[in-house]
Amino acid sequence: MAAKNHRQWTAEPALKQNEWVDSRIYSDPQIFEEELEKIFKKAWIPVCHESELPNAYDFRTSSIAREPIIVCRGPDNEVRAFLNVCPHRGMIIERRPSGSFLEGQPSGNPKRITCMFHAWQYDLRGNCVYISREKEGFQERLCKEDVGLRRLRCEVKFGGFVWVNLDDNPKVSLDDWATPAFECLRKSLDAEPLEVFHYHKAIVNANYKLWHDTNCEFYHDFMHYHNRVTGFNDAYFARKNEAFEHGHVVVGTFEVNYEKYEGFDSRAALSFPHLPPNQWYMIDMFPGMNFNLRGSALRCDIVTPLGPNQVMIEFRGLGLKRDTPEERQTRVNHHNSIWGPFGRNLHEDLLGVQGQGTTMCTGSEPRRILHGRHENQTIHDENGMRHYYAEWGRWMNRMPSKPEQPFNEPMSVAAE
Amino acid sequence: MVVDAHSLVRETIYRSTILLDAQDWNGWLEHCDPAFRYAIRAWSPEINKDLTYLALDRKGLESMIKLLPKHNTDHSPLTRHTSVYTVDVSGDQTARAVSSVIVYQNLLDGINSHIDAGESRLFLVGKYHDTFKIENNRAAFLSREVRIENRRLDKGSHWPI
Repeated sequence: MAAKNHRQWTAEPALKQNEWVDSRIYSDPQIFEEELEKIFKKAWIPVCHESELPNAYDFRTSSIAREPIIVCRGPDNEVRAFLNVCPHRGMIIERRPSGSFLEGQPSGNPKRITCMFHAWQYDLRGNCVYISREKEGFQERLCKEDVGLRRLRCEVKFGGFVWVNLDDNPKVSLDDWATPAFECLRKSLDAEPLEVFHYHKAIVNANYKLWHDTNCEFYHDFMHYHNRVTGFNDAYFARKNEAFEHGHVVVGTFEVNYEKYEGFDSRAALSFPHLPPNQWYMIDMFPGMNFNLRGSALRCDIVTPLGPNQVMIEFRGLGLKRDTPEERQTRVNHHNSIWGPFGRNLHEDLLGVQGQGTTMCTGSEPRRILHGRHENQTIHDENGMRHYYAEWGRWMNRMPSKPEQPFNEPMSVAAE
Repeated sequence: MVVDAHSLVRETIYRSTILLDAQDWNGWLEHCDPAFRYAIRAWSPEINKDLTYLALDRKGLESMIKLLPKHNTDHSPLTRHTSVYTVDVSGDQTARAVSSVIVYQNLLDGINSHIDAGESRLFLVGKYHDTFKIENNRAAFLSREVRIENRRLDKGSHWPI
């Protein structure tokens, strides 16, 4: 049948219910607010890498689900996370993206986290150590010991990423959350310290899950000339999508033929430790983080949902801390050639997701978005997205295909 | 007519701006020495590092330009506003120049062309740091480093800036 009328166009597809989702999950403001509360305020989120705060008193700021966060390295070398909020009047304490508390500030002393507004000061453990004119204003009613920063669960794991959970009592530990999915790259990422060499961000008018979908499915390699010429072979089509508990997916490896793209070279000489030459693994973490190792460079995407139809994606590139300047430059070039803001693939991915966001903005007609390809769980099978949306349904207690209905466990996903 | 080196450098920067705006990449490369090197860099206060977003020699640039038609892209044209700030000519017939550059994206097909096409948005802010070889009454680019202030880089283009 050719083009459809409205009834046909909006009819349920001839697929199982877990093989498509309702586009309202990408555009409904109420669902978005629920996602912040039920998912982003409860899940482990990587907010930065430890190399971004290499020295004692260094800090890095971020945010999760609209809550500002500060990550600090204390004089004891421990990395801790706090809400970046002063308990006095709710002022954001540190406004810079990064820096060092070794420097004094106009309102405060060195080695202190100072709120510039009224000069309240905190140590690197979050204890309040100074309230300006404390006795004059609060007498004996409130003292330093009564206030302090809001500490957050924080761990440095899986290649040195700093993971934060806003929930004091998360459903699972970080180890239980991520260890199985990271097992394929554990030796490569933990063999020696890594270092961030690349950072940029993009804001796209599309739902955060659409970016994660694009990282989860490789069927869209038809959009990437680079991937077609360097990848499409028997080994590529045999790559497996492996589902892990908690909604994570690992895309298995194969050998990429970079030389087939004019001007590109093999990445073999700078492979990460324990990684065979020119291999390519990808770990997609629920609810929207991605770790992507293409031989010589690791990429990490962290999504910060800004609205039902807007997401900020932070892109990091990492190499080995011990790189010589020449090795680092080669690694940077490898990273940029595909994933840099002026590289071959990233721009195309952003265009694709922006195009979806254009058709799925708030108030758009509810439509069926298909995740129904089955190819023995190999690279163009869409089992990764089906696995993700089953997990999303559990956290939200909504059916992805009928979001007004409570979640029912799809038997076929469990079988996959 | 022999033109002084300062004027040659200014003229080359401005003519290159017009060629880049016109997406005449090969026309621009004709103003570049065979040893030309091109880079886009920025300082990141987020990770406290100098970032290289693109670094290519002339051969790499030629390969990139040749393959552009095979890639999907946002076709919104870019318009560069360039102002040459300083030109310093050395005795060895080389020169350095620093120019301000502001790049506008003139939206065409990147979002929803029905609504956005025809609108111009600020795309990049930065400076060109250029070096030249002065020879035979001609200034040829030896290098161009585009130092941008932006770390937010949304979908845009694969094109040289």
